[in-house]
Amino acid sequence: MTVPTQRTDEQVAAMSLRGLVKRFDAKLAVSGVSLDVPAGSFYGLLGPNGAGKTTTLSMAVGLLRPDEGRAFLLGYDVWADPAAAKARLGVLPDGVRLFDRLTGPELLAYHGLLRGMDAATVDQRARELLDVLELGVGNRTLVVDYSAGMKKKIGLACALLHGPRLLVLDEPFEAVDPVSAALIRDILQRFVAGGGTVVFSSHVMEVVERLCDHVAILSDGVLRRHGTLAEVRGDRSLEEVFVQVVGGRVATGSELAWL
Amino acid sequence: MAVTAAPGIGPFVRLKLRLIANGLRGRPARVAMFVVGVLFSGFFAVAGYAIFAIPGVADDPHAAGILLPLGGTVIVLGWLFLPLVFFGVDESLDPARFALLPLRRRTLVRGMFAAALAGLPAVATLVAMAGMVQTAAGLGGPFAALGQLAGIVCGLLLCVAVSRSVTSAFATALRSRRSRDLAAIALALLAAALGPLQLAVLAGAERADWDTVATVADVIGWTPLGSPYTIGLEIAAGRAWAAPLKLLIALAAIGGLLWWWSATLENAMLGTAAEGGRRATGTDRTPVDLLLVRRLPRSRFGALVSREVRYWWRETRRRASLLTFSMVALFLPVSLTIGSGSPGSMVIFVGALAALALANQFGFDGSAYATNITAGVPGRVEINSRAAAHAIYTIPLLVVVAVLVGALSASPGRIPGTFGLLIAAYGVGLGLVLPVSVRAAYAFPASTNPFAMSSGGGPAKGLLTFGLLFGAVLISLPLQIVALALGPVWLWIGLPVGIAYGVAAFLIGSGIAADLADKRAPELLAAVSPQR
Repeated sequence: MTVPTQRTDEQVAAMSLRGLVKRFDAKLAVSGVSLDVPAGSFYGLLGPNGAGKTTTLSMAVGLLRPDEGRAFLLGYDVWADPAAAKARLGVLPDGVRLFDRLTGPELLAYHGLLRGMDAATVDQRARELLDVLELGVGNRTLVVDYSAGMKKKIGLACALLHGPRLLVLDEPFEAVDPVSAALIRDILQRFVAGGGTVVFSSHVMEVVERLCDHVAILSDGVLRRHGTLAEVRGDRSLEEVFVQVVGGRVATGSELAWL
Repeated sequence: MAVTAAPGIGPFVRLKLRLIANGLRGRPARVAMFVVGVLFSGFFAVAGYAIFAIPGVADDPHAAGILLPLGGTVIVLGWLFLPLVFFGVDESLDPARFALLPLRRRTLVRGMFAAALAGLPAVATLVAMAGMVQTAAGLGGPFAALGQLAGIVCGLLLCVAVSRSVTSAFATALRSRRSRDLAAIALALLAAALGPLQLAVLAGAERADWDTVATVADVIGWTPLGSPYTIGLEIAAGRAWAAPLKLLIALAAIGGLLWWWSATLENAMLGTAAEGGRRATGTDRTPVDLLLVRRLPRSRFGALVSREVRYWWRETRRRASLLTFSMVALFLPVSLTIGSGSPGSMVIFVGALAALALANQFGFDGSAYATNITAGVPGRVEINSRAAAHAIYTIPLLVVVAVLVGALSASPGRIPGTFGLLIAAYGVGLGLVLPVSVRAAYAFPASTNPFAMSSGGGPAKGLLTFGLLFGAVLISLPLQIVALALGPVWLWIGLPVGIAYGVAAFLIGSGIAADLADKRAPELLAAVSPQR
């Protein structure tokens, strides 16, 4: 496993969470997650469905107010100083949280201007991203009519457009075809090599094992393991560790005989 | 393994009640809205009962012969159109959710029909129509009452069948997103046209002689719309032979509607097919130029306004509301003139109504609103850009309305003053609606039906809209009174005074809304995100 060289001189963690708690009605979705994501790392947040990955990341980027705890992005408190924290943050939210009645180019232009970039830079970068991601510079199809993979790609382009130092991606590889996935992996690796930090959630072990230098395993809203990939994995495969930590059932016994 | 006997209607009704109950659990606001809905339904039921019972108490068969078929027809039409316009179709039992269950169509139709009957609107309608039974009893004794009872039960079934089958057929008959959008717009226009039409009919009724109306009522009594409501009257009038015939007409209509529903249900269960990504290419314009509407600044504000402008046209719900409002705004003055009323009397109503489209403006965005939060858009910019985009569509329309009113009342000099009143009421409406749009936002379901609201609490949301409209009209009323009192002077000062009044109200409201949006952005996002 090659850890990309860090080119940042800032010692402050890219993302640090302190005792985040979130309750939905009676259910405790996230209970006291504390986590440090070192600057320049490729960080994978693992967990089964419903573990609280999306909830945790939403609280970390300022989309969901935590009941308790604090979140810092690049040293800025997300909830006390949101403008500073969000300025150098790029987010790919879960599901389709895009204004999908715009075309791809329009959506990119919207994101760029919203971030206060000047129009010429927006145009130049948007064209480049559309070209590289094979979304078509002159494509007038509305994003709502895009395929799932194209939606992920345009979402990623929106998150990258303003040149953030920290990328927070929720399930970036879900429903993406292998070719697009390889392209996204390449872009993300270049981003980290350039000194950026990537935090992403997934429940696909292979992707995490291949990309990440740090991982955290979340289940039932509690952080079970975190650290470098080598520390967490030990001498076993990540999948074995994951299954053991999460404690789910992986084989059937005498039931289901009628299958 | 073996599929057991087909379930009856029990599970469907229980499912519906459970959905209502679970929707209320642990949400005091929803419970409060539900209680308001119950009160409103109760009021409707009692008032309806009283109205329909009057001819019986007064012992007036002639009045009953007019009131019952026409009143019944209004109820049926209400069941058809009110859900579309105001309350949203109840999608809690969406047929698509049953698609994979091994249920026969007959079972499904029966179950969903029964589930639609289990709800406040159905109960309230039945109670209101029970007044007809009393009338029939008063006029023709127990047999007539019995006939009328059968009639109103049929009438209720007819209402529900009409409501379910038509909405189901329309919302699902079309496959692609584009044609679905178009159909939705067409339906909205149709629904919007109904209001003006009804006003015109009422205006005509004022002048028509009652014998003609009685004849019309008589004819309607033989159509499916009115036949179930006149069964008791026929018995009371000694035409017992007509009762089974009318019952047959009503039952045939119900059967036909259910057949139609079940025919379209299969389409409904298939859901939507994905549209092939057509690649229309061939443009040299840069992304920023593509986004920005002409002459808007190349800045954050320009981007926000442009996106909103495009959304008012591209998003079905928004376009439907925009077109509906246009219809009402243009036809109301016309139909009031036909009805020998003064077109000036509805000016502040139209102005206030314009602002209502923004009552759940964040709900239109849904979870996409996360984009603006992540980008850190200040509340002031957020609110003002949205109001500006809406005004781009609304203000030209208000100018047209003002001109129309001036033309209809044959006094062009009134145009500026009328426009002043319209702007004042629009500003007041925005001032009220903007804070509410932040504070009381709710999620639209991720449904294919553009008229659908989220399940449960639908009537209460409609009530909130009514309240806003009422409040805006109330606050604008002083200006209207001043306008009437001043007479000719208003023609001169109306425009500046109206604009000042409207702008002041808008500034107060948008300021409050901006503060709220700054403080509550994450809560707002949670409120408008479908499910969680």
